[in-house]
Amino acid sequence: MSLSKEQKLLLFRNLVRGMTLDQLMMRLIRSGRLVGFYHEGAISMAPGVAAGSFLNKTDCLWPHLRSHGLAHMVSKGVDVKTYFAEHMGRVDGCCKGRSSYHCSYPDDHIAGWSGNMGANFPMSVGHGFAAKYKKSGQVVMNCSGDGSYGEGRAHEAMLMAANWKLPIVFWCENNQMSQHTALTDIFPGERISALAAGYGIPAKVVDGHDLFACGEAALEAIAHTRGGKGPMFVECVTHRVHEHSVGAVNKAGARVRDPEQMTKWRQEFDPQKLAAKRLLKEKLLTQKDIDRIVVEAGQEADAIEDFCEKSPKAMPPVEELINQVYAV
Amino acid sequence: MKNTREISLSEAIKEAYIEELRRDESVYLLGISIQAGTFPHTTGLIEEFGADRIVDTPLAETGMVGCAMGSAQEGLRPVLDFMYAGFSYYCGSEVFLQASQYHFLHGSQHPMPMVMVGACGVGRRVANEHATLPYGALIHHPGIKVCMPSTPYDAKGLMKAAIRDNNPVFFLWHVGLMMQKGHVPTDDYVIPLGLADVKREGSDLTILASGLQVHHSLQVAEKLAGEISIEVVDARSFEPFDRDTLLKSIEKTSRLIIVDEDFERGGFAAEVTAQMMEHGYDLLDAPVKRVCHPHIPVPGGYMEAYTMPTPDRIEAAVRDICR
Repeated sequence: MSLSKEQKLLLFRNLVRGMTLDQLMMRLIRSGRLVGFYHEGAISMAPGVAAGSFLNKTDCLWPHLRSHGLAHMVSKGVDVKTYFAEHMGRVDGCCKGRSSYHCSYPDDHIAGWSGNMGANFPMSVGHGFAAKYKKSGQVVMNCSGDGSYGEGRAHEAMLMAANWKLPIVFWCENNQMSQHTALTDIFPGERISALAAGYGIPAKVVDGHDLFACGEAALEAIAHTRGGKGPMFVECVTHRVHEHSVGAVNKAGARVRDPEQMTKWRQEFDPQKLAAKRLLKEKLLTQKDIDRIVVEAGQEADAIEDFCEKSPKAMPPVEELINQVYAV
Repeated sequence: MKNTREISLSEAIKEAYIEELRRDESVYLLGISIQAGTFPHTTGLIEEFGADRIVDTPLAETGMVGCAMGSAQEGLRPVLDFMYAGFSYYCGSEVFLQASQYHFLHGSQHPMPMVMVGACGVGRRVANEHATLPYGALIHHPGIKVCMPSTPYDAKGLMKAAIRDNNPVFFLWHVGLMMQKGHVPTDDYVIPLGLADVKREGSDLTILASGLQVHHSLQVAEKLAGEISIEVVDARSFEPFDRDTLLKSIEKTSRLIIVDEDFERGGFAAEVTAQMMEHGYDLLDAPVKRVCHPHIPVPGGYMEAYTMPTPDRIEAAVRDICR
């Protein structure tokens, strides 16, 4: 599906915002202001932007771990300042400061996430089941990396989604690394998306650094699933140009990953630069427009940082927490 | 009770399902072979409610529980049947860490109303996976309610309460009680989760039990009547647990035996014992006694008949504590 001018500009703006906020997270963790960990997004954020940008408010989204889902959530229209506050353990956190890194935006149909890789798959089946049961027309954007497809949960979910023709997009952001292990060391095939064929799920592979290719694939997958044709699988292939989580080792098994190679990838495959070049060439934006978008994203990041710094640390008494375990 | 008739515990659960399925469109059942009905509590439901609401799944417990969790977040009220409760261990992460703790960890703003159902209990000679009673492990994890009925009346009332609750509830039922008959009202009623029930009054000794062990305890109480007066308290709900009813009972009897078919170590009986030490120490004239499954895997074969708590073992404990 080809993209309109508006759709391209929406994607680009969301990418600039997402990548700027990813760097805000990096500044916060490096200055010791995050309570937990962070998994950098960097040049692998185009798929997340594409996954989130064309969803309706009522569509369900399970964001991917990388960039802690900032690309996905910003693009779906979530005000993520409370997500930053959560990462900083503040009272204004989206989970009241008690989760370190979980998202929860029920009104935006972002149900949260889990510290367990692959937890998204069965829950997305549930979101898709409910959509079909209620005939609500919702789709479910179930994002993950390549590593999660090692979990049996992923396969149970693909089986159930295919069998019940649930409106679920299996959106795989394949950065070819699973924590500190190369995909080639733990996966026998060429493409993760080849798994989908076993369940009769149509699949597509795109360049995960090409924002507009990802966007086109997202539009196609959303149209396919919303049309009642069952699930669809999209694999976006990217590179990981940094360690798994900030401060961790940067190896693939016993092999140290080549820093020069990663620097080269960081420059060569920067999706923002690639997309900007294309927009300039197609005369959809001027350099001045692009500069303005970058400045606005920086202002958004500054406002978020300011908001979080003003929010008090969340440290309620245990007596209060005990009353929060059950829903009324 | 007026308007009651005798039905089995299985039929009582089925009645709760039928009434809740009719009352609330958002209620649906899912599980492995529930349309045909591995057990009689779901047999025939497909005829009235159809395959959209009585959903057969592949053999995929983790997918099933995720389906329940996600659909609950999107406004449905799933009843997930694990067949045997031990099968829920396939998806331990989802049961112990996710379903139970999701609400709290995500800021207590997104309820997850779902019921997990599983049969359990020792004595059918089929060993650990089919026999395991998971309530000790379940109550160790905050955020999940757990109950087990001993009568058809309690079964229907507890199931209705579980379906209407806005939290994950694990409803256990004992394989030895599936065809147990009892009086059940035709009118709508619920038994709130967290209320114990005094099944027999007595003055010398309290036995706390649940499921099949309530009946074993009642047998012993009947046998020893005239010699030792035994009060039998049915826990009914392990979480929340009705500590006040038990304290009230031991205030009267001063002695407590906890009969628990689960493994002895770190289980429900151990937890209640600790609570009684903290809150009821001055009321007791003797140390609390436990009659549990010994700390060995449920062995199957002919051994189940004596590794589980039996009336003989309970009677021996009674005589020991009343020396």
